[in-house]
This record gives sequence, C-alpha cells and structure tokens, in this order.
Amino acid sequence: MKEAPKKRAITLNGKHFEVPPGGSLGLLALGNVGVRAWKQAKKDWDKQNSNVEEK
Amino acid sequence: MLKKNKVLFIGWDAADWKIIDKLMANGLMPAMKRIVDNGVRGQLATLDPPLSPMLWTSMATGVRPFDHGVLGFVEHDGIGGVRPVSSHSRKVKAIWNMLTMEGYKSNIVGWWPSNPVENINGCMVSNLFQQEKKGKDIVGPNEWDLPEGTIYPERIVEHLKELRVHPHEITGNLIMPFVPQAVELDKKEDKRLAVIQKILAHATSIHAACTELMETEEWDFTAVYHDAIDHFCHAFMKYYPPRLEGMDEEGFDLFKNVVNGAYVFHDMMLERQLQMIDDETTVIICSDHGFHSDHLRPTHVPEVPSGPAIEHAPFGIFVAMGPGIKKGEQIYGASILDVTPTLLTLFDLPIGRDMHGKPLTDMYETPKEVRYIDSWEKVDKFGGELILKSVSNNESNEAALQQLVDLGYINDMNVEGDTENGEANYLKSIISENNFYLAKSYANGGCYEEALEILLEIENRDKPDFRILLELVGCAVKTRRFALADEYIRFIRKGNLMEENYVNVLEAKVQLGLNEPDKAMRLLKDAVQNFPDSIDVLLDFGRLLNTICEYEYAIGIFQRVVDLDPGNSYSLHGLGVAALRTEKYEEALGYFLDAIENVYYYPFAHFHLGETFAIMKNYPAAIESFEVVAAIAPQMPKTYRWLLDLSEIVEDKTRTERYRKIVDHYDLGEKIVVTGLPGKNLDYSLQKLKEKGIEIGGDINDLFGDTVDVLNANWFADLGQKVNYVPLRLLGSLPPKYSYRILFVLDQPEEVMKHLLENEWPGKELFNSVLMEEIQKQERRARSWLSQQPNLDIFYLKSPEGFDDELIERYLS
Repeated sequence: MKEAPKKRAITLNGKHFEVPPGGSLGLLALGNVGVRAWKQAKKDWDKQNSNVEEK
Repeated sequence: MLKKNKVLFIGWDAADWKIIDKLMANGLMPAMKRIVDNGVRGQLATLDPPLSPMLWTSMATGVRPFDHGVLGFVEHDGIGGVRPVSSHSRKVKAIWNMLTMEGYKSNIVGWWPSNPVENINGCMVSNLFQQEKKGKDIVGPNEWDLPEGTIYPERIVEHLKELRVHPHEITGNLIMPFVPQAVELDKKEDKRLAVIQKILAHATSIHAACTELMETEEWDFTAVYHDAIDHFCHAFMKYYPPRLEGMDEEGFDLFKNVVNGAYVFHDMMLERQLQMIDDETTVIICSDHGFHSDHLRPTHVPEVPSGPAIEHAPFGIFVAMGPGIKKGEQIYGASILDVTPTLLTLFDLPIGRDMHGKPLTDMYETPKEVRYIDSWEKVDKFGGELILKSVSNNESNEAALQQLVDLGYINDMNVEGDTENGEANYLKSIISENNFYLAKSYANGGCYEEALEILLEIENRDKPDFRILLELVGCAVKTRRFALADEYIRFIRKGNLMEENYVNVLEAKVQLGLNEPDKAMRLLKDAVQNFPDSIDVLLDFGRLLNTICEYEYAIGIFQRVVDLDPGNSYSLHGLGVAALRTEKYEEALGYFLDAIENVYYYPFAHFHLGETFAIMKNYPAAIESFEVVAAIAPQMPKTYRWLLDLSEIVEDKTRTERYRKIVDHYDLGEKIVVTGLPGKNLDYSLQKLKEKGIEIGGDINDLFGDTVDVLNANWFADLGQKVNYVPLRLLGSLPPKYSYRILFVLDQPEEVMKHLLENEWPGKELFNSVLMEEIQKQERRARSWLSQQPNLDIFYLKSPEGFDDELIERYLS
C-alpha cells in the first residue's frame, strides 16, 4: 500500500505555497520556482513510495 | 549595458479585450487590472493576413511581411523540402538585434518564429523549446531531447531543459480548473482533455524558462511569447457562453469554462512576473489579433490552409505601465507595426525611417523626443547571428509541421501522396500558399500592383483556388483593371467556383468601376437580401449608396453594421460621409473620430475629418488631420493641395512653402472643372465666376454635352482655359493624364427639371418622369465615376452663395 506523501512547501516573496506531488495550477504559474519544487515533490513522492513497496 | 528602466514585454497570442474586460470586472484578472489601472490601454490593429508568425515578426521588426520575409507557417528548406517557418526567413533586424547593437541585454523566450536562436547580447529560447514530439510521435518525458538551435548561450541549456513540463505530467487535478468534470472523463477517449494537457504544458514550460532567465540573468529587455490563448480559443471558443446554435449541451457544459480558465491562468503567470520586477520596469502586454467570442463567432471553419484564422478578430490588445507612462488612460490608433518603434523610444533609440509603424508617444506623460535613422539595416554593428546555418533536425521539423497540421494551419502532406511526385506537389503548393500571403500582405499595405502581379503568377485555372481569385479580383479593381476583374468574374461564374451571392458582391465593385452604378446597386441589393447579416456585404452596399447620394438609405445600412459589430470603423466612416454630405458637420466629426479611434491607419477617415474641419473653419484641426493623411498615405496628392490652401489661409509661411513645393512636384497639369446638374444653381455659379473675372472654357450653354465630340482626343485640351465647364455627362470622358479639382455644384433634381422645363422647353408640362429619371441617372453616374478616381479633388457646393467663401476662392485660384 502506498503511503500518503510528505507535504513539501515553498515560500516566495513571503507567501507560503504547498507543493502537492500532483501539482497545482498556482504552482505552475510560479514558473521556474514552482516547476522545480513540483518536480522535486514528485521525485520525493515516487522515491518514498518505491521504498515502501521495497520494504 | 544595464538600463535603469528595464522593459518586460509579454505577448499573448489572440488575447482580446472583450473577454479580459469581463474577467477584470469580476475580479478574475487582478494582475491585468493593476496594469490597466496604472497604465495605458488600447486596441492593437492587426494586419492581413492575420497569421501569427507573420504578425509577431512584424511586431518585432516594425515592418510588414513583404519586407520582413516571414510569409506563413512553413518555408522551403532550400533542399527540396518543407520545414516550419524559422528565423532563416526573416530578412531584417528584430528589436533584440537592435538592442544588441546598442549594448543592451535581452532575454527572448518562445518568439514565433525564433528557431534557430541568435547569439545576441543576452539569452534566447526558441519556439521549439516546449516541443515534445519527435517526428509524428510524442516522446516520453525521459527521452525528451531539445532540438538543435533552441537555446543560446550553451551554458544555460541544461538547467532550462529541466524546467520543461511534458504534457504527460499534466494530471487531472491540473485540468480541473478548466474542466471541473475532468476526472470523470477518460483522457484517452476524449482528445479534448489531451489538447488542454498539451497547451498547458507548453505554456508552463515557456513561463518557467522566462522566469528563470528573469531571475538568474542580467537583462534590460525581456520578451516572452505565449501561444496558449490562441490555441485554447481555437479548440474551445465554440463552447464559450452563450451556447451556439447546434452545440450539444453536454459538450457545452463540460468545456464552457476553458477559455476563461486560460485567461485566468495567464493572469496568474503575469502576477508572478510582476512580482519579479521593480517599479522602474516598464511592462507591455500585446496580442497580435483578437478572437471572436460573441455572435461574430463563425459557424464553420473553411477547410483551406489557414482556415482557422477566420476566427481571429481584427484588434488585439495593447497595455503598458511604467515610469513616465500615463495612468488609467486609453491610447488610440495603435497597430502591431508600432510595437518596435515604441520599444525603441523606451530605450531612447532612433526609429528606422524604413519601418512601417510609428511610436505610440501618446502613452507618455510628457512629450518624448523621437529620433530617426534611415535604417537599422545600415548600422554597422554586431546585432547577433543565427547559431545554425541551416535547420537540419528533420524530426523536430516534422514534429512542428505535424503540430501545424493538427491546428488546421497547413495541409497534411500525406493527402498529396507519399511518392516523390507527391512531395514535389506539396512543396509547390506550400510555395504558392506563401506567395498568396505575400500578395495579401502587399495588398494590405496598399501595394496593389505588386499584389496583382503575384496573384496572376500563382493563379492556376486548372486548379482554381477561390481565395486567390477573390483577392485577384479585389486587386484588379483597386488598380482599375476592370476588364481583367470582369474576365475573372466570368471565369468564377462559369466554373461555379463561389456561391452566387458572393460573386454578385464582387461584380458590383467591378460594375461600379465600369461606371455602372445601377447594375452595381441591383447586385448588392440582391446580396444584402440573401446575406442580411454579412458585414462585408453591408459595408459595400452602404458605400455604394453614399456614392450615389442615397444618404438616408446608406445610414440605415451602416447602422445595421454598427448593430452587428459595435465600433466597426468602416461603418462609422460611412455614417460620417453621409453626415458630411448632408451638412451635419458636428455629427460627421463624431463619426470620423470614432472611426479613427479603432483604426488609426485609415487615410480616408482622416481625410474626411480634415474636410469637415475645413468646412467648419477650424483650420488648425483640418491641417492636423490632413498632415496625418500625408504621413500614413503619402501617395494621395490631393492631400497636399488641401494643406497648401489651409496653410495659406492661416498664413503659415513655413507650411505654405513646404506644401507648395510638394504640390509643384506632383503637378500633373492640374485643371479646374466646374460641373453640376443643369439647373439654376449651376447657371448662377457660372455667372458668378464670370463676375469674378475668371475665364471659363467650354460652352456654358451646352447643358448636356451635345456639342462636344469626346472621340476627339483633344476635346478637353481644346477648351483652352485653366477653369473649364464640363457638362456632368462628360465627366467620365475627362482625359486621365491630368489631375483635376472639381467644383460640383449641387441642386435638387426637382428644381433642375423645373428650371429646364421653364427655360429650355417652355410650354411643356411641369413634371416629366422620363426627364426626371434621366437627371437622377446622370447624377448617380457622375458621382459613381468621381468616387473611383484617384487624382480628383472634389468640392461639393450646395449653395452658390458659397462663392463668397475664402476656401472656395482658393480652390478656384
């Protein structure tokens, strides 16, 4: 069974943005920062879940 | 060089105020609203043909396509094949080259076309950056390479590459803001969701690259181009509310929010970009054309190359905010050709005199000094070169071509067959298509002779293309080759190549040129009956009615156009002409000013505005209007005659000297002709001229031209004076080698008939229907002929008392 992913977040210009692994439109609109954070969140999520499956 | 005041330029293909205004009013585009409230906004007139690669290149160069060389969606690759249009086609410097020459640093992202990129001072990311196809197949995110020539400099390739978002990465929850029921639909089954995935992924990739460069590179100028609104609109505008007749309810409910969602997403991206700049940065947002979103949405898209362009509206958006720029104001008369000249003024750089646009200096709070140079092409400095000599990546070419096929912009090569012959025919058809766009560009720029030459070259009677024939007849009419136009109309009719009503409209224009207004009238009346909502047909009909003095009727027709398309400049101009000719001058002024507000490059509207101001004795305003005509349509000699007269009246010596020189230069042996219906007013006017000591050539007792042999080539020269009386019936026989100033003395047909019956045929009854019809016919034909002549300046004199007017005296001097 897959575990719920650990939530990532970024802060940009004093604003807090959650980074769900599935992404969000708001995150895409942040451009470079949002796309990087989202891609990282996806990687983390994939890694975390592959570890769980291996166990 | 790093400029204190940077410029951020954002291109949103197809963005339209009609939708933006609604969304801003509902608080859904707050970033855009902030710019509008703190800057200037206006409509940006597009060019014809309204095809994005041509338009965005005009925007970046300040010149029309026939000068910049980008002529469609595809180009010949030089080795017998076809490739998507590339930077190789562009023949002139773009704004980023000019800035490089002057030491400014630029980031250019996604511009269409910009592959291969150039080694400018700064960074470039081409329009192939976000392309995820290899050949005709979509490659997965892990095998996703960058085509050659996509990014400059090399050092930024790797980290920009990682910022691309692949359509497969766009999950259901990202599509839900556009289609709330997305998760219930099967993406594989419903291709419309895949379209959203793809457009969204492309927009995100471009935005990520742009924000990365804005954040990590030093820059003076950043320009980014997004095609997403255009693509969203082509795919989903048919679902936009209100529901179109025939649209299935289910599709409407599912996709009605997609277009609004696209705009909202762009506003979110804009918000991020605004956070990345300071108050000293100027922001400009433009679109190359609008997109019909209301009752003007076409009911079907023609299945011809570039057919989807029928959905484009003629005005895009322009909005600018920054230091020194007015706040909360409108600017008028902007065209996409004005973008580069305006950007140059923001950098205090000179404008090329060979550019076709003008700087939008009205946007500045204080007047801006504008400098000019002959041409940026002659500046001997390094402005950047293409980093590849040729585009060799066949797979990326094929992928980009397939995308154009998918969008309906070009035909699929497979329909021509896979054989060598098929490829050759395909190439031939592509070249012909681009030449068609070249011809259209010439015609749009008023160069009808050049356009006609190309159209005659590409027209193929064995494989007739109605678009080419249509343009050809139009250009033949504009160049006054009516016999040629007539020949093609007969060809169209014989081959049944176009819907009959449409041919009737075309033929009406030819008949008008052949001085057969009654025939033209019949044809247009029929067409209007059959196409009561066709704006083009109504405009043609209204113009004809104005020409033959049926002003009340014309007003009704033009008003119908305004009802269908509020703010239609051509209709407002028609209403203005009707008001001017019926002496409602204040009303006429209003109409002409409204017409110019939307379409500044409209010489006839400025000309009639000048004429109205002159009649109202507002001479400075008249001079200003005619000077605009001289600037935007310098080939109209009669403008300079007006300017000379007006400059003399206001005793402006400098102007008088300047315009006298021009008038002398244009002097083709100008003749003054007095004409009119043979009534009391004409009699009185001729008498008045004699009293003023003016010698009048011609027989003033010859009311119908019976004594003149027009087959004698010298009949007009034989009249012998500078001012000659010519009966109305003979106007059409005036030799074309002269230019004329025509004083047309107006009279009521009933009064003319009364006058004739009393003086010429005493004892006859007081109403003669045959004579009345003949009088009206003569006037209609004369007016029709006058309206077609390029080298005429006409002054309509309603009352002979007008002879005491200073303007008339100068007119006859």
